[in-house]
Amino acid sequence: MKAFFTLVLLLLSHSSYATEQAEQLFNQLKPSLYQIKLIDKASGEKSSIGSGFQITADGLIATNYHVISSYALHPKKYRIEYLDTQGEQGLLTLQSVDVINDLALVKREVTQAMSFFELSKATPQKGEQLFSLGNPHDLGMIVVPGTYNGLKKESFSDRIHFTGSINSGMSGGPVVNKLAKVVGVNVATSGNAIGFLVPHDKLVNLYHDFLASPPESIEQQMAAQLTASQEKLISQIMNSPWQAKKLGGHGSIPIIDVPFIRCWGDSNADKVDALILTAVANCSLDENTYVSGNFFTGSMEIEFRTMQAKEIGANKFYHLYQQQIARAGAGNRAGKDNVTEYQCHHDIVMPENKAINNKSVFCTRAYKKFPDLYDVLYLSASIDKERQALVSHFTIAGINQHNALAFTRKFMEAVSWN
Amino acid sequence: MELKTMPIAVEQISEIIIEEVSKGHKLLHRHKLSQNKIEIGRDYHNDIILTDSHVCPSHLTIELLNGQWQITDNQTVNGTTVEQAQQKKKNADQHIINDGDVINLGKSQLLIRFSDHNVEPTIAFSPFDNIIDVLRHPMVLCLSIALFAVLAGGIFYLNSPKEVNFTQFLVSSIKMVLGFAFWPAGVALVAHLSKQEARIMAQLGVSFAFFNLMWLSDFLENITNYNSASNSMLPIVVMMLSIVLAYSLFWLNAYIGFQMSAKRRTIVAASITALLFGGGALVQFSNKPEFNPRPQYNATLMMPSFLLTSSSSVDQFIEDTSKLFDKASEKAREQ
Repeated sequence: MKAFFTLVLLLLSHSSYATEQAEQLFNQLKPSLYQIKLIDKASGEKSSIGSGFQITADGLIATNYHVISSYALHPKKYRIEYLDTQGEQGLLTLQSVDVINDLALVKREVTQAMSFFELSKATPQKGEQLFSLGNPHDLGMIVVPGTYNGLKKESFSDRIHFTGSINSGMSGGPVVNKLAKVVGVNVATSGNAIGFLVPHDKLVNLYHDFLASPPESIEQQMAAQLTASQEKLISQIMNSPWQAKKLGGHGSIPIIDVPFIRCWGDSNADKVDALILTAVANCSLDENTYVSGNFFTGSMEIEFRTMQAKEIGANKFYHLYQQQIARAGAGNRAGKDNVTEYQCHHDIVMPENKAINNKSVFCTRAYKKFPDLYDVLYLSASIDKERQALVSHFTIAGINQHNALAFTRKFMEAVSWN
Repeated sequence: MELKTMPIAVEQISEIIIEEVSKGHKLLHRHKLSQNKIEIGRDYHNDIILTDSHVCPSHLTIELLNGQWQITDNQTVNGTTVEQAQQKKKNADQHIINDGDVINLGKSQLLIRFSDHNVEPTIAFSPFDNIIDVLRHPMVLCLSIALFAVLAGGIFYLNSPKEVNFTQFLVSSIKMVLGFAFWPAGVALVAHLSKQEARIMAQLGVSFAFFNLMWLSDFLENITNYNSASNSMLPIVVMMLSIVLAYSLFWLNAYIGFQMSAKRRTIVAASITALLFGGGALVQFSNKPEFNPRPQYNATLMMPSFLLTSSSSVDQFIEDTSKLFDKASEKAREQ
């Protein structure tokens, strides 16, 4: 019984210690925390809000790119303002962005050196307690304790998996360890106390690059970052093993062996009355890059489909087959201001190995703000078997011409009958 | 009185043809008279009795005087006018009649012809009449409707993602036949209403024969779409074929149903064709969103046995697609 009480006491004291610690940290860090507001100049009202934190004595503030994205793309329409915990407001200027890691640096005018957040030099330990700070839903600054759970697995861009409730509006707020050193930046949530953070080293890199050479134009900086990111993605994909895998009865498809592309499968083998037996394999990169509310890029999806006619003739099979491939669409969201309309080419194509004959379609649309970046779509339908078909399809968003063509060539030669 | 003038009249006797015509100068009734005084009006003593209530009981007299026909208006309520080719209407009283004059009295028209009027040369039967005669034959008509029904049902079967039973097949083909029969039936009805011969069998025969030809041109269009790469001109040529077919159908519809000059028939057929294709294109254009986020591509697929062309290599395909990037970039720079 005594032991039980000791245990309860111990637990109570531990949890009250954590609360105390959080409160202490919050009070200590409060002066360097900000709410970041994007104000629409014409209406004078805020159009988006987020959080930010000061990282230098001279007023440099870190936040998420997506908090200030509208300003980055339409600087004439908006202005950026801060609101500190004292209730004071002021203007901010955009200094630098990292669109891939969703970070931005903004700056306020300061008259004297101010307190600021220190960036951690070390990565946290798995299970280490962290504190996320921010202003959720415009409710006021809060602190949320949570746990560091390492980097998100099977992810192309690094994200910290944080067990703790991050809500909208906390975006751009810092996550600190017990020593009040920044280890990450709030960026996203997938609900149920699963949050994602940008690791602090990305912010360190952005800050150092900014010190070395501030960007001449934010748009050019973003274009360079998007180009570099797709270069890294595609070179990793092109240099990874492409394993041939059987799909359906006789299809042979490539499965790209990189951890960040994940595949799912489905078939209609359970539907007795289906006229065509279909098997589908779907592989995709589960992440994308936010450029603006209606423009995402950096996504990739690959789909393979085999079809086998059951009790219908070739003519009917091909009619239904045509309906299956008639409505391919873009893999990412993009509007009129961001991209051109698709340009398409189609032809009957047979690869070197003569193992398949396809009707192939290739479409591309160019980015209006970022030169030599495109969304591409490829769709190929086999036309050499009477009552069997193999469809191969991919879309890649934000890729340059060279990489798109290199990937397409390799992909076309990797799909065949076996 | 009349007896005394007879000897002179015998010398002068001459035939005159008076045609009652519609406003559009369509023949309604024809009178051939061999007397040198003709009375026209609404009451029953007249030589030509008109039922038009705007015409007076004794409206006008046409008389042969010194070898010339002269009109006398009997001081009528609404008067009488005459229109000559290429000239304005003028008062008809005391007018000397020429061949081809049109006399307006009340709301009626009379066209005057002399017996020495030169008629148009004879038109030989055209090959179209022979074709139409074949197509309107009940056997041929039944065959072409049956063929149409089978094709319509077949296409329904091919496009249906589920099993199709015979009743569904039958219902869909009958629906299509009835739907498409509206056109020839409509043309025949309009012909009938405009006082022409309806010739419903000929209209049906010609229309269904052409509908079948259009299925064929559709099929050819699919084959060319399937076999050609995007830079080929062939699909456009085949699309022209369907325009030509539509024009020919409308031309024949007009030829069967309405008596009109060849020039007018050409214009009518061309206008309906332009309305159909141009209107269709216009509707499509107006429905086109300002920005289409979906790619528009040719997805025509057919059985391997319809594949007639050889395949390109991957190198060729990559080279062709690389041109798309330049095109897209150019579009991006334009805006």
